[in-house]
Amino acid sequence: MPTDKQIRRRRAALATFIAASVVMLTAYFGESSEGVFHTLQRGAQEAFAPIETGAGRALKPARDLVGWIGDTVEAKGENEDLRAELKDLRERLGRSETAIRDAEQLRDIVNLRQAEGFPQGTRSVAARVIARSPTVWYSTIKIDKGAGDGLREDQPVIAEGGLAGKLTRVTGGTSEVTLITDASSAVSAQIMPAGANGIVKPEVGRPSDLLLDFVQRGRRVTEGTTVVTSGFRSGRVESLFPRGIPIGRVSRVDLDEVELYQRVHIKPFADLRSIDFVAVLTSRGQAPATETSQAPDSAGAGLP
Amino acid sequence: MTFTPGSFARAGLIAFVATVVQLSGFGAMRLFGSSPDIIPLAVAGVAIYAGSVSGAAMGFGTGLLLDLAVGSTMGVSSLVLTAVGYGAGRYREVRDPAHGLMSIPVGAVATFGWVTAFAAVSFMLEVGPSVSPLVFRDMLLTTLIGAALAMPVFALCRRVLRSSLVVDPYERRRRRSSPREAGPLGLRGMEV
Repeated sequence: MPTDKQIRRRRAALATFIAASVVMLTAYFGESSEGVFHTLQRGAQEAFAPIETGAGRALKPARDLVGWIGDTVEAKGENEDLRAELKDLRERLGRSETAIRDAEQLRDIVNLRQAEGFPQGTRSVAARVIARSPTVWYSTIKIDKGAGDGLREDQPVIAEGGLAGKLTRVTGGTSEVTLITDASSAVSAQIMPAGANGIVKPEVGRPSDLLLDFVQRGRRVTEGTTVVTSGFRSGRVESLFPRGIPIGRVSRVDLDEVELYQRVHIKPFADLRSIDFVAVLTSRGQAPATETSQAPDSAGAGLP
Repeated sequence: MTFTPGSFARAGLIAFVATVVQLSGFGAMRLFGSSPDIIPLAVAGVAIYAGSVSGAAMGFGTGLLLDLAVGSTMGVSSLVLTAVGYGAGRYREVRDPAHGLMSIPVGAVATFGWVTAFAAVSFMLEVGPSVSPLVFRDMLLTTLIGAALAMPVFALCRRVLRSSLVVDPYERRRRRSSPREAGPLGLRGMEV
């Protein structure tokens, strides 16, 4: 047990040190920069400087080691944060790019409908592609609109750039579109502005190349000209596609000596392998051209 | 602690080395966004072995040295470290801790007390009202690092002060737990 004397001594020591600190504090605040404590401090700092310099050099390896450990730990944490941020940004980028692509396709579809030469007065239903046929033999897609949205079989379907196909099967909420690259497809078409008529058929396995067949040899066809749907009408028979929907551009003309017809290769405007949105034309509208639409030059009757 | 010129010199050596190492070494190290601070550990290390009066004196002296070397407001560090040293010394006198890991909580409390009291005094004296909340994170990290460094710092203090100590808690503990002898049958636990 400490004696009273020890306790008093202990308390006195504590009081002395605290009082000395407070006095020093007060005096330091009260004096000018030339005062005793400030001068003492400057002198101490000058005396400490070489010691600190030497100690600093001596301790540099230890400092560097700890710094390296700290930097490594921080870098690991930072790396994880950056990875998470990168993942988040990639997801956002993916969503943004998808939205941009969707918007571009929808805008191009709208622009196509407003383009000069497109059948005026048509009404359309925009739809998203929800499934694609995996084979080259059956080029079909499934869209997320059906009979409930006013769609019926055989209605023409356009995509970004031009004609895509027609509806071949319609259910309540979905529909199947047979693309113009499908083996069973045939579209009556006309080369503009020459006016030569023919039937657009696919070349199976080459979705970027269509054939315009049954074009008479005498009709002059030049590369780069546009091919549109002819929308022929012959008596009671009428094409499923209204006149003036762009299909593609002439890329090559085969002139076979023995053939009666020219074979014209067409590069379709619509990239049918990667469409995400289409528009189904639910009413035909009116043909833009005033000239009378005709049947294809030959063998076109009965075709779409 | 016996108050002899040798013991004063040893305590002064600890204070000086701790200040220089802190200013030239630990102060420049960044660990988890904070810096280790061995000043309160050295003060508490001396106080826990030498008692409250020696602890208060060590705190005052180390604080004075620190204020002189750093150029901060004279008296602030002395005031706070006096309290830290006295508190650690009184803890030893009242509780008489002898556990081997005693230095960790003592070091943590001493460091926390030092950073908190220093922040409070600095806030009252000089700093305006705009203080970032990050200062609390820094205080917490400094405390944790202090707890981690407490054992080696306390061990060094004990080694330096050992010859001047009247009572060494570790020696007493070692004596208290002397090896048990075998019983008359030569089996442990069969002592008579």
